[in-house]
Amino acid sequence: MTTRLKEVDAVMVGMGWTGSILARELTKAGLTVIGLERGEDLSPRENFALPAVRDELRYTYRLELIQDPALETVTFRHRPSESALPMRRFGSFLPGNSVGGAANHWGGQHWRYLPSDHATRSHIAERYGASAIPDDMTIQDWAMSYDELEPYYDKFDKLCGVSGKAGNLRGQKIEGGNIFEGARNDDYPTPPLIMTESGLMFAKVAKEFGYHPFPQPASNASRPYTNSEGLTLGGCQYCGFCERNGCEANAKAGPQVCVLPLLRAEPKFTLRDRAWVSRLSYDKAAKKVTGVLFTDTRTGEEYEQPAGLVVLSAYVFGNISLLLNSGIGEPYDPVTSKGVVGKNYCYQLSRLGVTLFFEDKFFNPFMGSPGTQMVMDDFNGDNFDHRGLGFLGGCKIQLGHADGRPISYRPVPPGTPRWGAAWKKATAKWYQHAARITLSGSNYANRYNYIDLDPTYKDQLGRPLLRMTYNFVENDYKVGDYCMRIALDIARAMQPTMIGPPGLRRGDYDTVPYQSTHNTGGTIMGHDPKTSVVNRYLQSWDADNLFIMGASTFPQQSAYNPTGPVGALAYWSAEAIVTKYLKNPGPLVHA
Amino acid sequence: MPRRIGGAARAALLLALSATSVAAADVEHGKALYQTCAACHTERPDALGPSLKGIFGRKSAALEDFRYSNAMRRANLVWDDANLRAYIQDPQAKVKGNRMPYGGVTDAKDVDDIIAYLKALN
Repeated sequence: MTTRLKEVDAVMVGMGWTGSILARELTKAGLTVIGLERGEDLSPRENFALPAVRDELRYTYRLELIQDPALETVTFRHRPSESALPMRRFGSFLPGNSVGGAANHWGGQHWRYLPSDHATRSHIAERYGASAIPDDMTIQDWAMSYDELEPYYDKFDKLCGVSGKAGNLRGQKIEGGNIFEGARNDDYPTPPLIMTESGLMFAKVAKEFGYHPFPQPASNASRPYTNSEGLTLGGCQYCGFCERNGCEANAKAGPQVCVLPLLRAEPKFTLRDRAWVSRLSYDKAAKKVTGVLFTDTRTGEEYEQPAGLVVLSAYVFGNISLLLNSGIGEPYDPVTSKGVVGKNYCYQLSRLGVTLFFEDKFFNPFMGSPGTQMVMDDFNGDNFDHRGLGFLGGCKIQLGHADGRPISYRPVPPGTPRWGAAWKKATAKWYQHAARITLSGSNYANRYNYIDLDPTYKDQLGRPLLRMTYNFVENDYKVGDYCMRIALDIARAMQPTMIGPPGLRRGDYDTVPYQSTHNTGGTIMGHDPKTSVVNRYLQSWDADNLFIMGASTFPQQSAYNPTGPVGALAYWSAEAIVTKYLKNPGPLVHA
Repeated sequence: MPRRIGGAARAALLLALSATSVAAADVEHGKALYQTCAACHTERPDALGPSLKGIFGRKSAALEDFRYSNAMRRANLVWDDANLRAYIQDPQAKVKGNRMPYGGVTDAKDVDDIIAYLKALN
């Protein structure tokens, strides 16, 4: 029996970054809001405290903050001709599962996408001609420009206390910052973190090549910071346990630190954890959703939560699954290229790199955070001329120590045995003396990379699992190969004792080793309902009181980590709801 | 909020203190340095660290509404000048295994200033 609950003004499906930001903005506007979260509630004071939080086995290997694949997972295949199998352990990517979402275990690399990333297709067409884009590369423009989103990027920066150095302040290029970034109206809220020796060595050589290295912008506050909501973040302690772990020092931004303390005290807001939303109630004729159905994972009981406004603020997979399982929007079909839900699923070209060994350097790799790396964007996106290269997109290239943890950080030179006394000796010898240049590349949409419902496998609630059909394509390999040549030139110029083999992408995508939790697309934004799921305000074309947040709205993936625009888009959409939609409910864009 | 503060011991300590010279310490500078501490040591019920109001002269692990680490519970200290100084300089050396995620303050003058501010924090 389904218990019908009292209607609220708005329901959030998922209480990570976007659910928390939307709940905060909508309660400020006077709405009653309920936040539903599939996972359990956490408190930094109890769950992220020393010494338990620095438990690499518990968080990195036993994945305590990660979604349980026994409840819900995705099936995977490389190509439409194969049958998909369920991922029974997450590896390549790690979706979060608790109040605070993936922001509990993110590292904090905080980017704004390049102005050209916001107009991927039209920018490339203008610079190289439309014929430069292969037929099966289904890239699209974002539904708003960088300049339009800038005030909201700024707003999110100031919620997080991002550390960094501006490279383009109101159009003025600043040496030492990222000169390729879009114009910022304001500098970073906190200065860059103290740079590691390895980062400085990389930057010195990169500069000699004429490149433009800069400190990684990071949501690891470099000093105590009172954010835009009046909440206080601590200064980073460089403990090296950012990603996969909660932050012990209040320094890594996340909803638990930056928003939730206020929401918890807000009478108009109710938080309900272990509330797993199974589908939305959808009135197709009226183009409205009327609420959500959820199951309490403690009791197995089902509830109906009626709501005037539904916000899908789950991870990429949750958002796509709820649309497909509720019959909202036309599922994408790669054969006919018709339909939109599940289209343009993208990932990221990650964990490419090369390890350098320096006998005479001591890097103290146990100290750091993602912000203690130097990055260069000279070969990112369309920051370089692609004529004659045979590919589109690029990589950010970086070096610095962020997380030299005892179990996973064991760099050894090529030729070292995989186990035994010789391996132990080599790990002890090289722990202090290795540094790795890493590359992270863009991933442009391909017609045959998509998500739909699996015909065979179901989750614990009996719903079909999502089926991911995905592989790297020629363009991705070429991006990696080209940028690796740049990285190797820098590596050699740094004059290490030894250089390891270049780690490149070859063959099929492997779902097992961790690469990045930067899954994007599937409910993409756009100007046309025939080619997108949501309009430029992230409002569904198929139900005007349904808004969809997060990286599932990205038309393709850039080389950057996605959280910056995820937060900016949440503020952008929240403002449209409050200032436009609530005054005049209905479609905000007429197709 | 119920708070157990060793009243008599604290008064005695404060008396003893007023006799020693703290004139050199800069309370305002201590207050500025304390902003690092204040990120966690707030009065909010979900704060990561315990309130430090009235910390000077208080027994260690004295607040009933804060869940201290076992190490801190066993420490059995009175937060006088010497103990505060040692703890602020190197928290893990003074109370091994405590949960405070802070590396310590190396500059002796900075430590003095923070202590001066803590004395004034009531």
